[in-house]
Amino acid sequence: MNTLIALVIGVVVIYLAYMFYAKRVDATIIKADPKKATPAKMYMDGVDFSPTDRNVLYGYQFKSIAAAGPIVGAITAGNLWGWLPSLLWLLVGVSFIGWVQDYSAMMMAVRKDGDSLTAISHKLISPRTRTIFLLFIFVYLLMIVGAFGNMLAGTLNTQPSVPLGIVVLAVAGMFAGQMLYKWKMDLIVTTIIVVGVTLLAILIGPLVVDAVKGFNGALNQLGLMIYYVETTGAVLPFTTSYMFWLLFVVVFSYLGATLPIWRYAQPVNYIGFWVMALTIVGGLLGAVLALFVKPAAATFTLAAYKVYDAGVGGALQPMWPMLFVTIACGAISGWHALVSSVGTGRQLEYETDALPVGAGAMFSEMLLALLALLAISVAGKLTGTAPAMFASGIGGFLSVFGLDPTYGAALGFAAFVIIVITVTQLALRFMRVVLAEWLGDTWAPAKNIHIGTIISAILMIIIVLSGTFTYLWQLFGGANQLMASLALMLVTLWLVETKKNPTYAFWPMVFMYVTTLAANLITAYNLYVTVLLRNIGKPELMFAVIGAGVMIVIAVFLDVAALYIGWDAWKAYGRLKAGKVATAPAE
Amino acid sequence: MEIGIELVRNRIACALEAFRQVLYGAGAHEIVLYTVRLRANMENLFILVTLGDLIGVPILPPYYSLRLLPYLVPQVSSWKRRVLRERDILDADGLDLLA
Repeated sequence: MNTLIALVIGVVVIYLAYMFYAKRVDATIIKADPKKATPAKMYMDGVDFSPTDRNVLYGYQFKSIAAAGPIVGAITAGNLWGWLPSLLWLLVGVSFIGWVQDYSAMMMAVRKDGDSLTAISHKLISPRTRTIFLLFIFVYLLMIVGAFGNMLAGTLNTQPSVPLGIVVLAVAGMFAGQMLYKWKMDLIVTTIIVVGVTLLAILIGPLVVDAVKGFNGALNQLGLMIYYVETTGAVLPFTTSYMFWLLFVVVFSYLGATLPIWRYAQPVNYIGFWVMALTIVGGLLGAVLALFVKPAAATFTLAAYKVYDAGVGGALQPMWPMLFVTIACGAISGWHALVSSVGTGRQLEYETDALPVGAGAMFSEMLLALLALLAISVAGKLTGTAPAMFASGIGGFLSVFGLDPTYGAALGFAAFVIIVITVTQLALRFMRVVLAEWLGDTWAPAKNIHIGTIISAILMIIIVLSGTFTYLWQLFGGANQLMASLALMLVTLWLVETKKNPTYAFWPMVFMYVTTLAANLITAYNLYVTVLLRNIGKPELMFAVIGAGVMIVIAVFLDVAALYIGWDAWKAYGRLKAGKVATAPAE
Repeated sequence: MEIGIELVRNRIACALEAFRQVLYGAGAHEIVLYTVRLRANMENLFILVTLGDLIGVPILPPYYSLRLLPYLVPQVSSWKRRVLRERDILDADGLDLLA
């Protein structure tokens, strides 16, 4: 198997799914009408509701949904189960579930006056659904910052070529905000300067490896350690240098969470987009050309199928349901429904734009996940972490253009870290916002941006120091995919309310609902067996045990909350089927 | 032959324009949206301070506010909708940055 065949299969599947399934649903069930006024045209306040060209919206939607998720999920799943099951889930998931959710959530928002998903859930199902959605969002954010914080600290600690690029990214981000908003400089000039400087720092990174290694070595002389438990049951240490880099990530994210968006978070995200875009375009082109120019960089060396070896830990990792929550973005992701309803849905100029924008962007995101899977598949024989294998694969693709694989891998690594860290800082920001929304009325200090961020950062650190990245990622996937099943549940109810055939949304909803309920229970079991039960009472494993306990509670909470929503949705279905007016009962 | 070349040129031009728009959408659109919202927030505040009485806030318009009224009338209805529209957590700034 090679990269070209995999890419051709991916493109063919996208074409068939879009032309013969998605278009059919759009024409015969939803019946998108270009003559109907969308909320963007009806309200047209030039701020939130503003009709926008479909090509612009496609780019905007793609940027909003495609970042670290499709990359991390694909490389984690490829490492656990091999490339074949991961590829199959990407193709089947996006064709029958992913585009359905993104497109339908967008159309539902358009036909409901631009209401957000949470507002629609309040009206269509019950008021407590909205509250539960908020809790889901908080858990989703907590798991993201935990999983990404863990991955970032590990990568910065073990890859001494990467930190320089990240430090320069932070400084360049600050400058970009100043240049754009205060000095009113031209966007193109600003882009060339800040992105150029960041890329230069990334390429210089391999030259300062010794200095960073020396720095890490000096830190490790202090000998502070925190122990964690691997999924196999092995007890391993976090070193002083790891904890330093974790604090670095926390400070980076703290700035993103507390400074005005224009000052730091947005320009850093903007620079990260360009680094990601160059890596994706270069990586995809390289993956296509590799077979002709450098066949070794195109041939898969990762096993097609692996049975997960839990070692003496006793962890369960059955393909169903765990694969389906490990690869989230790229196949199906609940977060997309939230972004589709609020952001893009209020800017659609014509109803007929929803399909190319919503479904089109989702199919394109699958290609990004596919690229990540290809990168890890060609690097498969290497040992090391999944990010290292991803970077090595990308380095191989970029070497097709004559770039030295060392620099190509450094670019791959840095691109990966930049993408992940930009998401982490925004996730911490939103945790602070959600905390203020939740607790602000009962505990006023929660509204203070610094207190809210510090609380979120402490929770993040506890979760990171629990150490078990795989479980963190799978719990994140569980929360995310559960949100997806709830979004599909809303779509199903909306279709029933409007007397349309709900089948195309109903069965994906059932599949995701049952799968994520099961996955969360298995994750809770794994944490209990491999971490909590074996290590409770050991003072050196305090963080691991506390973290595992917190995650078990979260996993169970997610399932209980989902069952509540499922019950309320069932009652709502009964109301809608009976033809009663679809207003939810008062709380 | 010339018509064929012209057709190809047009198609390439359309494709390039579409690509340019996609790139703008992915790179700069969120910056533009944010800037527009920033300006709108200031406008909301200004109209609230001058004509807050229109939405029930007990600010009685002084003489100078009434002199501004003819210039503000075209924006009053969209201002009311912007300020009074129901919001939740998903309306927070920067949601579209978090992928």
